[in-house]
Amino acid sequence: MEHAVTDPADLPLDQQDQAILDRLAAIHALLDPPPADLDERVTFAIALDDLDAEVARLVEQQPVGSGARSAERTRTITFDGESRTVMITIVDRQDGLVRIDGWLAPSAPLQVELRLPEPAPHRTVTADVAGRFTFDSVPHGFAQFLVQPPEDSALPRLVTPAFTL
Amino acid sequence: MAVVTLSNGGAGTSQAGPDRAARLGACLERARNGEMDALGDVVRELNPLLWHVARAEGLSAEEAADTVQTTWLELLRRLQDIQSPRALTAWLVTATRRGAWRTRELSRRQAPDGAERLELTPDPGPEPGEQLLSGERDSVLWQHFQRLPERCRALLRIVAHADRPDYSAVAEALGMPIGSIGPTRGRCLAKLRAMLLDDPGWSTP
Repeated sequence: MEHAVTDPADLPLDQQDQAILDRLAAIHALLDPPPADLDERVTFAIALDDLDAEVARLVEQQPVGSGARSAERTRTITFDGESRTVMITIVDRQDGLVRIDGWLAPSAPLQVELRLPEPAPHRTVTADVAGRFTFDSVPHGFAQFLVQPPEDSALPRLVTPAFTL
Repeated sequence: MAVVTLSNGGAGTSQAGPDRAARLGACLERARNGEMDALGDVVRELNPLLWHVARAEGLSAEEAADTVQTTWLELLRRLQDIQSPRALTAWLVTATRRGAWRTRELSRRQAPDGAERLELTPDPGPEPGEQLLSGERDSVLWQHFQRLPERCRALLRIVAHADRPDYSAVAEALGMPIGSIGPTRGRCLAKLRAMLLDDPGWSTP
């Protein structure tokens, strides 16, 4: 047994190491905790009836600034999937609801579903041939899009992450 | 050589030990059989780990939250292929890291020329908020931790959030060496440990 040549880094973890790691975890949990709504957002997003879906990633989110009426805030979000990109503009209405103007690229008259947390019913619209669609009078809170594939396509539907309106 | 068994006590916040592994395994099984509510428990158990994986990769808080969420969505399609809690943890950690790299790459491209975004600074995590740390030992630990190279801080931050049943899986996903009887201490922890044991503020209770 050549204890002397053993590099401390190669030794198995012992209780002292575990104590250090436990404190490190506690410190990080205190100084940089996950957002309070992360669990809720994820559980909402994954509560889908059909698991086979292509996931579009959120690639850009930016405020567009205030519209002509200063009370109206606008921001855009881009979700990028392999088969299609979904771009949306969210406009805060004066009455506390929002309007979503969306665009599918490549454009296609596909069915777009807006999922909202229960008990709000899901809403479905069909994009026009230019890929444009609108949802109006949507309440604030979590939301998520599902885009159905073209009828003749073998592709699964497209799903976006949940985002906050 | 004796197999070192890590104590089940300690200051860890989540329930450790085989119970947790069994519980996660049962939830995973139920989720695979279409009971999607069961996956919610798995989410609550593993979100903190995945959050720290994304943050340790240098993402902003907003980017990290989106990356973690996307990882769970991507898991849905793979659910049938993942058989054990260990494989699940490994898959999630790996997918979160990949997602974080992709996000970092994207935000780099979107940043205006010459303007290095603040969020791109590696490890944006914990602000120097030592005043929040209650105990003296925690302050000592935090000081030494800050002196480690950035790569070590990222690694230890993630490993610290892995629970014992997942430890090997996480270590493997991070490319850390694992000895024949389980995870070894590794360079980063060995370094931190040596610094701490030299500091009377840590070693004397």
